[in-house]
Amino acid sequence: MNGRRVAAVARRVASQFRRDHRTIGLLLGAPILVLALVGALWGSGAEQVTRVVVATSPPVPAPVVDALRRVETLQVSTDTPEGAMQQLRDGKADAVVAMRVGVARTEIVVTLEGSDPLRTGTVLGAIQKGILNATGGTPAGGPSSPLQVEYLYGGPDRTLLDHLAPLFIAFFAFFFTFLLSAVSFLRERTTGTLERLLATPLRRAELVIGYLLGFGLFALIQAAVIIGFTIWGLRVQYQGSLATVFVIEAMVVVVAVSIGLFVSAFARTELQAIQFIPLVVLPQAFLSGFLVPVDQLSDVLRPFAVIMPLTYAMEALRAVMIKGFSIADPLIVRDLLVLAGFGLLTSAGAIASIRREVA
Amino acid sequence: MSGPEAAVEARDVRKRFGAVEALRGLTVTVHTGQIYGLLGPNGSGKTTFIRAVAGLLRPEGGTLTVLGRGAREAVGTGRIGYMTQAAALYVELSVDENLRFFAALLGIHDVDRRIEEVLRTVDLLDRRRSVVGTLSGGMRQRISLATALLHDPRLLLLDEPTVGVDPALRRAFWDHFRALAQRGVTILVSSHVMDEAARCDRLGLIRDGRVLAEGSAAALVARAGTADLESAFLALSESAAAPAAKGSARSATAERNR
Repeated sequence: MNGRRVAAVARRVASQFRRDHRTIGLLLGAPILVLALVGALWGSGAEQVTRVVVATSPPVPAPVVDALRRVETLQVSTDTPEGAMQQLRDGKADAVVAMRVGVARTEIVVTLEGSDPLRTGTVLGAIQKGILNATGGTPAGGPSSPLQVEYLYGGPDRTLLDHLAPLFIAFFAFFFTFLLSAVSFLRERTTGTLERLLATPLRRAELVIGYLLGFGLFALIQAAVIIGFTIWGLRVQYQGSLATVFVIEAMVVVVAVSIGLFVSAFARTELQAIQFIPLVVLPQAFLSGFLVPVDQLSDVLRPFAVIMPLTYAMEALRAVMIKGFSIADPLIVRDLLVLAGFGLLTSAGAIASIRREVA
Repeated sequence: MSGPEAAVEARDVRKRFGAVEALRGLTVTVHTGQIYGLLGPNGSGKTTFIRAVAGLLRPEGGTLTVLGRGAREAVGTGRIGYMTQAAALYVELSVDENLRFFAALLGIHDVDRRIEEVLRTVDLLDRRRSVVGTLSGGMRQRISLATALLHDPRLLLLDEPTVGVDPALRRAFWDHFRALAQRGVTILVSSHVMDEAARCDRLGLIRDGRVLAEGSAAALVARAGTADLESAFLALSESAAAPAAKGSARSATAERNR
């Protein structure tokens, strides 16, 4: 072991870092950005409000309603049974409390939205607390009427994986495709082939569209593998049509490729391209509903979620896979259109980023 | 000087990269069917000028006409062949696949025949199926030339084309360049190898982004009063370096006149 040689290597590594301002910037800036996001995400301590709609007929006993109103985390309103269920379907309510009068017994039925197991637990816990308060520790509505829990989507047999699978499907397709396209387009720049291409009649838009198609093909195969393994390998339960899932995934892939091409314009080396992960991929992971549902983000963070393509992909995939929405549903149509818009925008950005002056 | 017979017409072309002034009023006329050699040391602006002619960068000052139009427009016509300094090829692909790709971009119809022709020219017909990554540096250089020749360009831009090419093949390259020029192809070639420079019809000695002297190899040697081109180049560089102040005064006048 020669100290001088070790020192020489260390000095050289340090000098290289010193020259690479972008790497230093990312090395120091990226953790701050990511930590700031995490802080804003979980540190705000915003009280989560559960919106409960009490169906008006048949009437739920007044003590029960009063008790529910007394639970701080519950926001209680009333509606007709049909209106209440519609609110639940539209995502305007988290739970519906109704009475079911049967021949043998009368029971309180709590219907939960059910697509998010974590949320389901919280919501049910708060409602049970209120109802138990009202009945003095015995099941509500009298001894003969136990609390019945039903689910609009999914149910107690749904695992966390079933809930997270749509998010993983969108996230992984985005992540790998983005990384691959950024690095390979960067190679086109660094090996001089881009310069060579630009000295032919090839137009920049033709180059980007060609890349989208070429990469898109493999990215779609990847998407099919991801979806296939999730469904048949991991045995994730799903509703809706796989074709719709695939169409949404295809849009994700197009957006990811063009963001990758765009980002490669700002990197000089492959290392720098990889450093864009904390800037491009992580915020989307944090804010698009992967970790925290978008409607639970603070007012500061929600605008960021709105401008992230993965937000729409995840929303659409969850709607299809968990709630069984069809491709014609207005929500899915809207999400697909937004994704297409992102695709156009980022492709245009990628085209603009290929300057003739590739020096 | 100018006129329809000029394939490349550069007047007082300027280009700056940050603090570095790569071209400081370069003026060059390359006539059709001529082999014009840009001769100069590393960093003199040869590559920058060739890239400007190839439409890859936009000069900040002066005028640049290529095949009678703007450089970028000229490239769009597909009549320019450009061979970069480092062989820019897709190393994962075979020779044939690389050539096919460029042929498609250049809109070549008789692809198979053309690929065979250009590969014969660079003497690599037997490596047509080889993956480029398995070829030596010199071979890659030859494939790179082959791609530049594919579409039978009217103007061939060669940036140090014979780096890493052995002497026998270098001679073959130059014989081929001469044959092309006789068919009316204009060739703009950069080099710092003197024996290559001697094969050009006209030479521009470039230093610090400016043309120091222009003329045939024989004329330059006669002007410098030296025994060979290498000494002539050194002598002319030194004599031009001395009245440098005068040169910048001249370009300042040119600025005002514009």
